Amino acid sequence: MKSLEQLTDSVFYIMAALTEPRHGYAVMSLIEETTKGTFVVGPASLYTIIKKLAAEHLIQLHDDSNSRRKVYVLTDKGREILLEDIERRKIMIHLAEQGLQRGQK
Amino acid sequence: MASIGLAFSEEHDMKKLSEKAAKGWHLKKFRLAGYELEKGEPEESIFSIDYRKLQKDEEEEYFELFAYGGWTHVCSSANMHIFKAAPETTPIYSDAESSIDKLARLAKSVNLVASIALAITIVFWVFMTFASGAIQHIAEQGFTYSIIFTVPALMTSGGVYYHMWKNLRLKSKHI
Repeated sequence: MKSLEQLTDSVFYIMAALTEPRHGYAVMSLIEETTKGTFVVGPASLYTIIKKLAAEHLIQLHDDSNSRRKVYVLTDKGREILLEDIERRKIMIHLAEQGLQRGQK
Repeated sequence: MASIGLAFSEEHDMKKLSEKAAKGWHLKKFRLAGYELEKGEPEESIFSIDYRKLQKDEEEEYFELFAYGGWTHVCSSANMHIFKAAPETTPIYSDAESSIDKLARLAKSVNLVASIALAITIVFWVFMTFASGAIQHIAEQGFTYSIIFTVPALMTSGGVYYHMWKNLRLKSKHI
């Protein structure tokens, strides 16, 4: 995860979860519930990614957090990066969907 | 239980800890060049290790995340943390990127030790070769001792890079 220009699936899910303020473990459970357990993030990966996102100022500690309960939320820069990646992913999906439709005819 | 060094045998060590636990011998703590086990009930569990320097105010969050992910903290020593979990628990590293980051963190500390050892060895070698009399004699002995540390330290560095290379290959295969 040297560059965050292209977000990996793990980073994408974590950033998507942090569009609203959440604890680390709430991020884990949200991803697990949303994907019905088909995508899971291990605790060491989650911790590594959270630290990295914070270092790159894509997420920040939310006002509600204290030393015992750390709550994170996307920064403006983080929202921007996530939006860019959504566009990138949309292109992939669009290409695939169109191709499949044409292939059926 | 002995270990030849985590940089080489991390996977092997973790598997062995799991085998020992199945026979009722449980990891208690790190010991110099190995682990201390204690007798208990047989238990099916898997083990994982993470390398991370934690600030005091980071510890709680870090261990809590592992607990939430189903991993019980067993012991820590010098920025190494061992966890155990029931078989089939999600691995602590679920993606290639962050497991390469883990190795990079390990490489940093391992390389520091290796470079210091290497520098000391070179200094002794210089005195051994170019000095004379008592200084040369002392340097000769110093060189012999420092070689004993330097060679394994360099091999450990090599071991870490080998694992990183293996991980990178694995990652490119997935793509």
